[in-house]
Amino acid sequence: MKRADLQSNLAMTVTLIMGAMLFTTLFMGYAIYRSASTYWPPMGFAKVALGLPTFSTFLILVSSLFCYLARVATQARKVEKARLYLHLTLILGLAFMLTQGFLWSHLKATGVYVSSGIFASILYGFTWIHAAHVILGLGTLLYLEIVLKNTSDSTIRKVINVEKFWHFLGIIWLIMYFTIFVL
Amino acid sequence: MSGGYNEIHPEPTTFISKYLISFDHKVIAKQFLWYGIFFLGLGGLMALLIRWTLAYPGVPFPVLGNLLFPDSAGIVPPDSYAMLFTMHGTIMIFYAITPILIGAFGNYCIPLMIGARDMAFPMLNMLSFWFAFLSGVVLITSLFLPLGAASGAWTSYPTLSTMIGSPGAGQTFWCVAIFLFGISSTMGAVNYVTTVITLRAPGMGYFDMPLTIWGLWLTAILNAIFVPVLGAGVILLTLDRVLGTTFFLAGASATSGSGDPVLFQHVFWIFGHPEVYILILPAWGIVSDLLSFFSRKPAFGAKSTALAMTAVTVLSTLVYGHHMFTTQMSPLLTQSFMTLTMTISIPSAIFFANWLGTIWKGSIRFDSPMLFSLGVVFVFGLGGLTGLHLGTVTTDLYLHDTYFVVGHFHYTMAASVLLGGFAGIYFWFPKMFGKMMNEKLAKLHFWGTMIPLNGVFFGMLMIGYGGMHRRIYNPFVYDSLKRLIPINEFVTISAILMGLFQIVFVINFLWSLKKGPKAPNNPWEVGTLEWTIPSPPVHHNYDEIPVVKCGPHELGNPNLKTGRDFQYQTEELVQG
Ligand code: HEM
Ligand SMILES: [Cu+2]
Repeated sequence: MKRADLQSNLAMTVTLIMGAMLFTTLFMGYAIYRSASTYWPPMGFAKVALGLPTFSTFLILVSSLFCYLARVATQARKVEKARLYLHLTLILGLAFMLTQGFLWSHLKATGVYVSSGIFASILYGFTWIHAAHVILGLGTLLYLEIVLKNTSDSTIRKVINVEKFWHFLGIIWLIMYFTIFVL
Repeated sequence: MSGGYNEIHPEPTTFISKYLISFDHKVIAKQFLWYGIFFLGLGGLMALLIRWTLAYPGVPFPVLGNLLFPDSAGIVPPDSYAMLFTMHGTIMIFYAITPILIGAFGNYCIPLMIGARDMAFPMLNMLSFWFAFLSGVVLITSLFLPLGAASGAWTSYPTLSTMIGSPGAGQTFWCVAIFLFGISSTMGAVNYVTTVITLRAPGMGYFDMPLTIWGLWLTAILNAIFVPVLGAGVILLTLDRVLGTTFFLAGASATSGSGDPVLFQHVFWIFGHPEVYILILPAWGIVSDLLSFFSRKPAFGAKSTALAMTAVTVLSTLVYGHHMFTTQMSPLLTQSFMTLTMTISIPSAIFFANWLGTIWKGSIRFDSPMLFSLGVVFVFGLGGLTGLHLGTVTTDLYLHDTYFVVGHFHYTMAASVLLGGFAGIYFWFPKMFGKMMNEKLAKLHFWGTMIPLNGVFFGMLMIGYGGMHRRIYNPFVYDSLKRLIPINEFVTISAILMGLFQIVFVINFLWSLKKGPKAPNNPWEVGTLEWTIPSPPVHHNYDEIPVVKCGPHELGNPNLKTGRDFQYQTEELVQG
């Protein structure tokens, strides 16, 4: 492997380990809250309706697929195709953020306020933190919109790294979907 | 990400690109050094204010008192006292030790000692400094807030650190500052890990790296893994404070559905225990190298030192519970954490014995870097031994939260890391600035630090053993502690002395910078790569990337016929 590729891979791996540690900490906390409480959701709360979170899951997974296709197209040196998939990833990413907005207003409408205790804290807090990372991810996608004009080695490296980060966000959401909403 | 990939970058020409927004690891190292020394002074002043209050409660602080606390006639008021120990701890750990040991030496030594032209990602490196800078600005600003800076201790346990305990904005600023600092540290970590793996000069295997690099590298790995844990903790704490979530609120303070204050302690120490090794590993590495250099013989068991340091790194991730023995953990857990804690003694003892083996029968040169290194051996020995009392559950139940703990971590962290840092500064100053420091003043600085330092920290161990708790504004309202007043005065006087002797260092540093005699390429006569090039090095370090042919500690080889008692890493190992 070329040294630049190796450096890029290593740096991205370390970055993803850092992100994973951050969310692992959150999930560890969640596990403790849940195992410490007799009822979940706590008294007075109901489970969140699954429709909206499922739709979010669908959006972010499909966007991951497009992101993957964008990377494959870049590596195959097809800039136009890669850009098309990049646009699609970006649009679906924005749509995901929109559904998150709906989720928050839906929670509020059903009487689950930020300050309504630990159940609400987890719903809001974790989705906020994830959303903040998605915004960061959207930023990197926008950056790709600017630089993905050629298929030089350095562009390919950038696309690969953004792809990894985007998948990472998808995986975290998937874990959140199953542990916070479904379970 | 724009990468250096070891090619030669054009030299910057404007003032801004040369000294401010510099991509050059040597300049960034110096930025971190200035930054760290500034905060060391600030944190040191706070320490003196704390010490004064403990020895002379109710007496105005001399000279500066009226300026700092006009409303209380120069006496440190109780709420300011809490702010002072909080900010002292925070500043010393994150804003003084980290920038000097990791920011300055990491940046300076890694590329030079492994024969690279710069870090793998120079731009990330630059950003790392400026994030640290921003973080420092936020922290300093918090000192001027209406309700003052954070006052929930450097550990910022809830409920002290939630809106119930700290209604002012100071604690929120603290969280933001720490988060920004975390970003800076992790950026550095990405860079260090990648650089060490990919940019070592041809021929340099991992065990041909100086132990300094080993220490810095392991530190970077721990940083990358555990700083994000603290990041998660302070994010949740900030959400609790600003947006009204209740992650860490329990009981009456949580209106419905209970959070868990103790959870924060777990999160904090999962990060916090590795953090103490993050701070000490670079110092261990530096000391391991310097002991060999100035004993004029190879580092005893260098490979096992590197492996022992690695073992400590791994084990340090598994022992955090020893900070929480008194939180009503199940005995099964406390026993396990105790056992794991004791296990760390094994690798620690290995490299400690290696240090002694290194100086054993060496022809020791007592230059200032060596004096400071020997100082580390002594104080770290004491610090490590006191750790055993704290790691044992039965004794810790008594000693927890007393000044014994404060003494312990000042010996391990303040003393060892500080002395190690000074050793490094005296050692690399000639390379960094191309000037020699004054050796007489350096020796004066050493003894002026070493002797009072033991007065301060050993005194702390004693008052802690005598039962004095930490973080109390005026301990002597308790009759049983009145008998400890004399030792407290002794500690304070020692601290003031030690503080005064730091002026010698500052004078020496500034004077040598301006007027010091020009440094030769290799003033200490050692063979690692950075000493093969001019002092200070040119912008791209190495005109030609060196080829490494032997280890970093080839000193005192009887087969050497060159007239020197050491050989450079670029020379073929001389054999009989
Ligand atoms: C050699 C083995 C060591 C052992 C067995 C050990 C053990 C302990 C234990 C059990 C405590 C908790 C005491 C209590 O709060 O009751 C403690 C506190 C502490 N140790 Fe160590 N330690 C060791 C080395 C170190 C090193 C190398 C450092 C730093 C470089 C360090 C820094 C600290 C700090 C900062 C605290 C106190 C944190 C606080 O409560 O504010 N220790 N140590
Ligand atoms: Cu510990």
